[in-house]
Amino acid sequence: MTRQRREAVWGMAFITPWLVGFLCFTLGPMLTSLWLSLNKYDLVTHQFVGFENYRRILQADPLFWKSLQNTVLYAVFTVPLGIAGSLAIALLLNQKVRGIPVFRTCFYLPSMVPAVAGALVWSWVFNADNGVLNQALGFLGLPHIQWLQDERYTLFAFVLMSLWGVGGQRMIIFLAGLQGISETYYEAAKIDGASVLQQFRHITLPMLSPVMFFNMVLGVIGAFQVFTSAYIMTSGGPNNASLFYALYLFRNAFEYFKFGKAAALAWLLFVLLLGLTLVQFKNSKKWVFYEGEAK
Amino acid sequence: MAKRLALVLVLAVAGGCGADPYAGKIKLRYMAWGNPEQLKLEEELCAEFNHQNPDLHVTFIKVPNSAYANKAVVMFASRTAPDVVRIDHYEFPRLVRKGYFYNLKPLADTDPEFKYADYVDLAIDEAKYQGGWYGANTMYGAELIYYNKTMVRAAGLEDPYVLHKRGEWTWDKFREYALAMTKVDKSGRTVQFGCEIPLFPMETPVLWAFGGAMLSDDQSHVLVGSPGTIKAYEFLAGLRWKDKVAPTPAQASNAGYTFEGGQIGMVLNWSGMTPRYRAAAKGFEWDVCPLPTGPAGGKSMVKGNQLVVAKESKHPAEAWRFVKFLTSDATERKLYIENRRNFPTRRAVAASQEFLHTTKPPFQTMAFIEAERNSRPLPIGPRWNEWTTAYKAGIDNIYSGRAKDIGKELRDLQKRIESILADEEGY
Repeated sequence: MTRQRREAVWGMAFITPWLVGFLCFTLGPMLTSLWLSLNKYDLVTHQFVGFENYRRILQADPLFWKSLQNTVLYAVFTVPLGIAGSLAIALLLNQKVRGIPVFRTCFYLPSMVPAVAGALVWSWVFNADNGVLNQALGFLGLPHIQWLQDERYTLFAFVLMSLWGVGGQRMIIFLAGLQGISETYYEAAKIDGASVLQQFRHITLPMLSPVMFFNMVLGVIGAFQVFTSAYIMTSGGPNNASLFYALYLFRNAFEYFKFGKAAALAWLLFVLLLGLTLVQFKNSKKWVFYEGEAK
Repeated sequence: MAKRLALVLVLAVAGGCGADPYAGKIKLRYMAWGNPEQLKLEEELCAEFNHQNPDLHVTFIKVPNSAYANKAVVMFASRTAPDVVRIDHYEFPRLVRKGYFYNLKPLADTDPEFKYADYVDLAIDEAKYQGGWYGANTMYGAELIYYNKTMVRAAGLEDPYVLHKRGEWTWDKFREYALAMTKVDKSGRTVQFGCEIPLFPMETPVLWAFGGAMLSDDQSHVLVGSPGTIKAYEFLAGLRWKDKVAPTPAQASNAGYTFEGGQIGMVLNWSGMTPRYRAAAKGFEWDVCPLPTGPAGGKSMVKGNQLVVAKESKHPAEAWRFVKFLTSDATERKLYIENRRNFPTRRAVAASQEFLHTTKPPFQTMAFIEAERNSRPLPIGPRWNEWTTAYKAGIDNIYSGRAKDIGKELRDLQKRIESILADEEGY
């Protein structure tokens, strides 16, 4: 067996568990969902309707556009803020100071809180009458805001809440990326007289760009799947201000029994995310630097 | 020695795995949701049923409230539903038409122990569908007013129930009472509210009292933009924003203002609130009275849960025995007299001295009966969830004070709901 062939066999062996899982548990439901999206299906009866679900969603469903608008706005704010926040914390936690494992644990802890418990805690934080946030605003002499009751602020409240997770998995990935950057680059830069900011701009950022790209792709996908917090805290209100795409999809499936429409919504989301991811991959060539890559 | 011990252990484990403590019995599954007290009671009822019926064994499946409707739907759709399921009134119409439930009518009609006439009419009627009867009512009851008697007295007001008996308990009077009971401290902060804005769909009787409604009785017309509905919502929004006798949404989301905490004078709620208020309302007297009347009368509304038997149940006759047990005289006495979980569906239990005379509040138990007798059901149809989602969003604009012209908001809402209901079902 040639080395190439041996590597191919090992490669196949390594991806087999995922492949089996995908074929058994993902591909089947995906194809079923695609079929359902072409049907009117309420769990009992189904009728083939072709692309009628898609047509109605795109042409005659104002709530689809509202939920998409909410979700896009949410993603536009949370993804860059989340990446910047995670990177900032990772940079701090990459310092060589005493007790750093304790700090790392402290920053990671919030992401260990279950989503439902987190949502309940944030409901109290946002309480307009005596929530922590409004107490703080009052202390600064600022007026109280009805975070979850006034539709002008609800989306912002959810963006703010998303920052709760900046110390989580994304930060760990950044931290791993930072620790993978060889010290020799920084030593050489110091000898050349580069400032800390210049080192960050010309060494850290380019070396971290693959990690940043990875976090961005996952961040966009994650932002489009926001569900639990809105489901628990506002049920999509007030006046649909927090009606996110996944919540609208869930409602159509499990509250209205419109499984065909829900499947069509899921496929539209898939196509949208696929498109966004492809655009990101295409753009990545301009700013993502892979070590050892010849440009 | 070690080998023998190992053999004994293996046999014990094998025996333990294979042993069925209920071998020879017909096994039934029952699924329900509720707060811990309710679930404990139902667990006791299952144990009692199992004790009384040695040929059967009921396993109680408890599901959290938040996941209940979805789980029930998925189980029915996948034909894996338990034999007996407690279904909420809001879910019943859309599920019954899908053919998920066993028609109990043939069993009930031929059962010498069962008489429809033993139960109040609305409780029986709720489960009728296309000539069949698909569920026995439980956790049934009407909406009424819970009021803080101490607060009423302190404001120098006459007891609302006395006013009701004289036919003077109107929504105008309710507003007067709310104004009189609202207290503001020196800093301008309201420390005590006269009432609160009822949560959807508790405001429905207010709509009826002003001559309005959400839908017509036959559910063929949307009446959200009708003059009566507009007047009712103007009245309700006025309590919050003009009179300031009800907490704002921000204040309402604060657990600091509750009836049981003694900060709210009057609340509209179901008759099943008694256990909670008995446990939590301390330091003041409270009681119940029927809802006030308005220009178009004063009907309350009723609702309950349905005990249904899954169509796929392999033991419908045995499941029917369990349903009968859960609505039997003894069970209703335990649920509604001993524990006051809600209102009895059995006429005899509701009229019994034990129900009417109690040593703990609420003492005016006739109010429960009056409210139930003078009530009508909600217009719940198969598309209830769909159109009420839009409805709640529109009403939210009114309650939050965002809608400056309530009439316009409701007329627009009417168009939105008409469009939802006009759209072909299933899309």
